[in-house]
Amino acid sequence: MDEFNDNEIARLLRLKRYEQPPPGYFDNFLHEFHRRQRDELLRQPLWRICLERSHNFMLQLDVRSLASYPTAVAAVLLCAAIFLLKVYQQPETARVATQSPLTLSVPVNAEQEWNLASPVSTQIFRTQPVRSFRESAQTHRAAPPRYVLDSVPVSYEPTFRF
Amino acid sequence: MSPLLGSRRAAIAFALVFCSGAGFAQDQSASQQVREVFARAAKAVVKIHGVDEHSEICGTGFFVDPTGTIYTAYTVGGEAGNFTVEFGDKKIPARQLVADIRSGTAILKVDETTPALPIGKSEELELATPVISIGYPLDLPKTPNFGMLAGFDRKCLGRYFSTIHLRVNVPTQRGEAGAPLLNMKGEVVGIVVSGLGNNSACYAVPIEAAEKIRSDFVRFGEARHGWIGVNDVSPASQQVDGSRAMVTQVADDGPASRAGLKAGDVLLQVGKKKIADPEDVFDASFYITAGDTVPITVMRGDKNLTFQVQAAMHPASKTGVLLASPGAIPGVIPMSLDEDAPPSP
Repeated sequence: MDEFNDNEIARLLRLKRYEQPPPGYFDNFLHEFHRRQRDELLRQPLWRICLERSHNFMLQLDVRSLASYPTAVAAVLLCAAIFLLKVYQQPETARVATQSPLTLSVPVNAEQEWNLASPVSTQIFRTQPVRSFRESAQTHRAAPPRYVLDSVPVSYEPTFRF
Repeated sequence: MSPLLGSRRAAIAFALVFCSGAGFAQDQSASQQVREVFARAAKAVVKIHGVDEHSEICGTGFFVDPTGTIYTAYTVGGEAGNFTVEFGDKKIPARQLVADIRSGTAILKVDETTPALPIGKSEELELATPVISIGYPLDLPKTPNFGMLAGFDRKCLGRYFSTIHLRVNVPTQRGEAGAPLLNMKGEVVGIVVSGLGNNSACYAVPIEAAEKIRSDFVRFGEARHGWIGVNDVSPASQQVDGSRAMVTQVADDGPASRAGLKAGDVLLQVGKKKIADPEDVFDASFYITAGDTVPITVMRGDKNLTFQVQAAMHPASKTGVLLASPGAIPGVIPMSLDEDAPPSP
């Protein structure tokens, strides 16, 4: 303001009042503005552009409303992990219970091995196994063995029926 | 001091020394006996590994014949599979022959020639009889335990057992289910099936119960618990001929009804077992095999009657399949369980 006093400024404005841009200047104005803006922007390194854009994006978003999304994603991931873990550890229960009703503890060659004259304690039992088991899941190997001794006998008679 | 008094004192001193010496010798004898039983029986006791739906399990069992038949507890060999048996330095596969939850026992088999424990009689035991068990506690080696018979129990904590259980003051640990209970002759008289309290005592199933299951298996290929068709037995108001077990309900068209038993009859004997209380019918009925004819003696009024009742399959039996249908399976003893079978006199 030291170089120009008010009178000089007023004279300059009067001169500029009648200045007009060349024809078509305002038609191309917006396009030219964007071009110059892009040129200015591209002078910066790429990482700064990305940072700036992400920063602007985050500022536009409502962070509070977005807070539940990471929680939901984390919960889904946790559930998936637990489910996969359970599927891996599940033993082959259906196979464990499998037994063939036709071979259910029927003595093989019983006719040759058993007769009334033979004492029970000297019979040779050659039977099909009652249960047919497959190899256990590998997870069984990892678990510590259970040493068996119940606190009460399993034998149980509910009523005086006989 | 007179010479007479001196000689008397010497005699007393001599007697005391003699008695204490005899007592010491007796103690030595009992201890020696336990050691001998353990040394003789231990080689027939095995550690059993199996896999159930939860994890690997470990228990104890023992050979009862030279062909590799193993007795163990139902909790060890009943609901698991993939069995292996530690026998000497070997680990050999075993298979389940039969498992019976009613008695709490299971029978496994290995294809080996094995040592075997002799079978004794639990009926000959009396209270305070010394007994020995040999088991595999936890992951420890074969371990002897010593105690005495503390009771013949029909029930515990309000639950009735299917047959009388031997309560023994033998400390047991986890892993010892299925261990043999031996008398001082080294004969098996029971199978350890559970601990009691803080495991300072345990319950054992009488060996006769396991032998009954094995007998059923040899005859029919399965455990066949019999059913007479008496739905309820109550204590009679007064004792009749030493018994207070009165039949109060008979199943319609059941074996007992067909044979002629009626409500109001007082049971005196079922099979070979004498009846004095209603609770006695559990033990008596446990030894009935489906298809067998059982003599049942009752008092009706002032008449002593015996009925021959053909037992049917127990309702608690898991399967109703009659494997022993005549002609259906070669080699098994023919028998009839037809509902239309003529009633016994």
